[in-house]
Amino acid sequence: MNPFLLIAARNLVKNRSRTLLLGGAVASVTLLLVVLLGVVAGVRQTLLENALALSSGHVNVGGFYKISQSSASPILTGFQPIKKLVTETVPNATLILERIKAWGKIISEEGAVQIPVWGVDVKREKEILGKLMLAPKRDYIEGFKLAEGQTEFEGGVDQLANRAGIILFATHARKLKVRVGDTVTLSVPTYRNMSNTKDVRVVAVLKDLGMMSAYTAFMNDLDARELYQMQPDTTGQIMIYFRNLSEASDGENKIRKALSERGYPMLDKDPNPFWMKFGRISAESWTGQKIDVTNWEDETSFIKWILDVYNALTFLLTGILMLIVVLGLVNSLWMSIRERTGEIGTLRAIGLQRSKVRLMFVIEAFLLSSSSAAVGVALGTLFNLILNSLHLPIRGEAFQMFLMSHTLTVAVRGQDVFFTFLAITIFLTLGSLYPSSKASKLKPITAMNEAV
Amino acid sequence: MNKSDYFIQLNQVTKDYQLGKVIVPALKGVSLGIGLGEFTVIAGPSGSGKTTLLNLIGCVDTATSGQVIVAEKDTARLTEVELTDLRLHTIGFIFQSFNLISVLNVVDNVEFPLLLQKKISKAERKERVLHFVEKVGLQGHLNHRPNELSGGQRQRVAIARALVTQPKIVLADEPTANLDSKTGQTIIDLMKHINETEKTTFLFSTHDHHIIQHARRVIELQDGLITKS
Ligand SMILES: Nc1ncnc2c1ncn2[C@@H]1O[C@H](COP(=O)(O)OP(=O)(O)OP(=O)(O)O)[C@@H](O)[C@H]1O
Ligand SMILES: [Mg+2]
Repeated sequence: MNPFLLIAARNLVKNRSRTLLLGGAVASVTLLLVVLLGVVAGVRQTLLENALALSSGHVNVGGFYKISQSSASPILTGFQPIKKLVTETVPNATLILERIKAWGKIISEEGAVQIPVWGVDVKREKEILGKLMLAPKRDYIEGFKLAEGQTEFEGGVDQLANRAGIILFATHARKLKVRVGDTVTLSVPTYRNMSNTKDVRVVAVLKDLGMMSAYTAFMNDLDARELYQMQPDTTGQIMIYFRNLSEASDGENKIRKALSERGYPMLDKDPNPFWMKFGRISAESWTGQKIDVTNWEDETSFIKWILDVYNALTFLLTGILMLIVVLGLVNSLWMSIRERTGEIGTLRAIGLQRSKVRLMFVIEAFLLSSSSAAVGVALGTLFNLILNSLHLPIRGEAFQMFLMSHTLTVAVRGQDVFFTFLAITIFLTLGSLYPSSKASKLKPITAMNEAV
Repeated sequence: MNKSDYFIQLNQVTKDYQLGKVIVPALKGVSLGIGLGEFTVIAGPSGSGKTTLLNLIGCVDTATSGQVIVAEKDTARLTEVELTDLRLHTIGFIFQSFNLISVLNVVDNVEFPLLLQKKISKAERKERVLHFVEKVGLQGHLNHRPNELSGGQRQRVAIARALVTQPKIVLADEPTANLDSKTGQTIIDLMKHINETEKTTFLFSTHDHHIIQHARRVIELQDGLITKS
């Protein structure tokens, strides 16, 4: 065994209580970091799933049509050849379908909400919409108590196959004070700068999916066509799904390239959901059709700031804790060096180079931090796996909103675990450089003065 | 003996210590030569400069003026790295308070300088370590840590560690000061025996009269100056 490693390891064992205290602190901070990163990754994963279920494919081909300079409709004209081209360009896509995008007001006797409403063909979207769950009545009917013989749920997603229906999320049903069977009025602005309206019946109320559901409702695509007075060759957007998330970015580039090579006029990349682009597009001077290719991240970018905040908070918190731990480590090394002055002097006297003295203490710090980080990472991962399997319900609307889900999802990602281990180990080992190089400057003559 | 035949040579060496604002002259112009194979004692009362002299010869401290030549090298011209290498390959140290590595056992302590040298194979190393551990009579204590050994045994480990690299010269500053007189005597006998069998040069300081009687050569220091050589 390398003598430095041996000395370092033996000294750690010798100063057992100090080692355990410091190692425990390092392991705890590591554990915390792993858990926090797991929660953030879980939220991100939920966000992706929600986005894919509600408002976006992995990649989307949509666009705007401007009949006049000051207007902007979120439609794609002449979509069939575009869909054919997309199908040929990304043969690895598992599902390609189109939806109509509406941005309008849903009005009840009690209130109104203005949100995107998707015109969908329920039969074609079984796979996507099938993932959504009905909300129990108590989620949206005030003071509801389940009485004998009553069912907890009402309505059904597949009822949207009939005309003049709408599916709301519980959050909107609550706001509008409506339930399944009630009628609401849909009002959408058309490209004649007027509004078309239609009365629709609530056919289902869905369980909220965090913030995403605050921006989503569904209606029958034929109704949407009618509201927008769309031609049969027109749709809202083509949504493309892949087997793996990793195929998305390549697919997006290929589609963009294929479309522009075919001569379709394209919008410049703007990483925002379509409903945030109306203002900008309607201020531009061109008219006619332009195509917009986006991915799921663009369509959820209005939520992504939450993830950024989580990440920032995670790093701020662990950064502060790490700083404390590094100070602890530096202090502990100091004590170790002070106690071993005579020994260091002796080693220097019998021929150990300065650089090797430094190495010896860096190894000691590395051993301590890497083994503690390994323990922390292992415990953190275990904790995450347990946490995830418990399906803990998230109570409170605000929490549900910001965690994007009604149960706590924690994602265990190898890359996070590896990153945490590496970051902590490197950070602490770097922190040990200062006391270590101080130790290396001890003079060999101290060996003669200090008794061992 | 010709002047240049000396393995160690000091020319008009002085050493001043700075103690606050006071300058303490510890050596006031010492010249001497030590040849290979010698068994020499530096004697003198406390404060006469014995430790200072050994530190200069051992390249762990530098002279204020004058020349200290070790193995044909003027130590004042060497870098820190070169001095360390010189200590590793040419000099063996035996300390007054043994100075073993507390977390290493007897074998590991003795082997340590060989690992730093990286000159010989693992098999050779093991053999060499065993040879010297036997030579100091500790073959029954191979896996003991320093705190499981008596003072005399510890100093034997230190001797084995100083000898294991087969240095040209072994320096020992009062190696028996922390031992009872009987144990001290056996340590001196051991060093003398090794001097005779391995031809190792020994230079050590003491103020024990019994020991001084055994030395072949005695250098007497008094107040920073050599009075007898
Ligand atoms: N680090 C130091 N700082 C100041 N003065 C010192 C230092 N080391 C030694 N001295 C002084 O130098 C002189 C010589 O000291 P040295 O230790 O060489 O004597 P010594 O012969 O080894 O004594 P002893 O037999 O007590 O070990 C003494 O006056 C001592 O006080
Ligand atoms: Mg002394």
